[in-house]
Amino acid sequence: MTRQDHVRKWTIYALALLPVWWLEVYVLNRFPVLGVVPMLLPVAAVTVAVLEGTVAGAGFGLGVGILCDAVYYGGWGGMTLGLCLLGWGAGAAAQYALRRNFGGSLLCAAAALAVIAAARVVSGLFTGLAHLPALLEVAVPELLWSLCFVCPLYPWFFWVRRRIHKFLRL
Amino acid sequence: MKDFFRNNGLLILIAAALLAALTAVGSYLFQGAPNPLENVLGVVTTPIRDGISALAGWAEGIYNYSFHYEELQAENERLRAELAQLQETARDAEAAVKENERLRELLGLREQRRELTFESATITARSTSNWASTMTLSKGSAQGVAAGDCVVDAAGNLVGIIDEAGTNWSTMITVVDATLEMGALLSRTESIAILEGDFTLMAQERLKLTYLPENTELLTGDLVLTSGLGGNYPSDLVVGTIASIHTDASGMSRYAVITPAADLESLVQVFIIKDFDIVE
Repeated sequence: MTRQDHVRKWTIYALALLPVWWLEVYVLNRFPVLGVVPMLLPVAAVTVAVLEGTVAGAGFGLGVGILCDAVYYGGWGGMTLGLCLLGWGAGAAAQYALRRNFGGSLLCAAAALAVIAAARVVSGLFTGLAHLPALLEVAVPELLWSLCFVCPLYPWFFWVRRRIHKFLRL
Repeated sequence: MKDFFRNNGLLILIAAALLAALTAVGSYLFQGAPNPLENVLGVVTTPIRDGISALAGWAEGIYNYSFHYEELQAENERLRAELAQLQETARDAEAAVKENERLRELLGLREQRRELTFESATITARSTSNWASTMTLSKGSAQGVAAGDCVVDAAGNLVGIIDEAGTNWSTMITVVDATLEMGALLSRTESIAILEGDFTLMAQERLKLTYLPENTELLTGDLVLTSGLGGNYPSDLVVGTIASIHTDASGMSRYAVITPAADLESLVQVFIIKDFDIVE
């Protein structure tokens, strides 16, 4: 793949991320389910990582992490490093241990969301935000509701990947 | 192992670690202001967010007109009646103000003053996190908005406090956010207490009133205002009403759960208090 092809490929992935971001910021946050709104961007980062492998997963995770830290309230750089590591990990798992399919994507997303939830709970306990049961009451439904979005996001990015390959004649 | 990392994006991981460290240092240094990248993204996306917000408002208007026409008509009639009543009250108040001025002059008292400088703003985005209650507004430091400014709705009810002001946007934590803490005044008893956001109550869009004086008699429905003590926030902004009164786990002190007066769900336009001068 030439450098130009790489630029085209990642531009298409970035454009494919826009409707996901729009859905998260303008639609789903108005309709909480079980009292929570889902996290779509980490799921999107992990899904692309599963489809594209370690290096691309880390790169896409880095991009999505920067977006999260820049756009969302309270960003301090944690998502930049966190999503890069999770993208890298998901890419490595899909490349060397799991299959690059819906099942692999679901497992990686579950692991990534669990890591994010655990980090938030620990941080909440550390800062005295609330007691453990109260934090878990938010973290667990958030994880489960976000995980449901692997169902639409995996086919979406799978379709985007196929279009990219067709477009770039790979 | 070394080769594995070298062939599998080690440089990207190092770049991510450096960027994260840079962002963390930036957020620590620029408290109350966004880091440069955050600001640029905010500046670029604000017009888009404004557009989407306007489009959503228009769609909501059409939906309400189509499906809630009768409700809107009933609400309109109720508001007309309320307006007539308020106009009468305003006439009485005007006479009372004039009388008050005359009496103050007779007694040689200092003139009361309450000057608030407002900046109107629209809500361009709402919180996407379950861990904080925030809103993004369409005005920022270019319009004189700064961190710590109070935000009220059209009726003057407190909506939140500006936490971060970008060039043409700002982020506000709402009154129910778990990190909120400010002085409060119980309107009926004139007792001072502390308003605190609570993580568990945040999802129910409520907050806590704590450090209540021992002998204060609390009633559900009591109005809670900002105390203005300390001079950081203006006084007498309506925060909400007492929904319920509880005793804490130790059994030693009481706290009240407050329902905010501002309807956080349906807000579209708000007013930022950029400056205030209150003499009582």
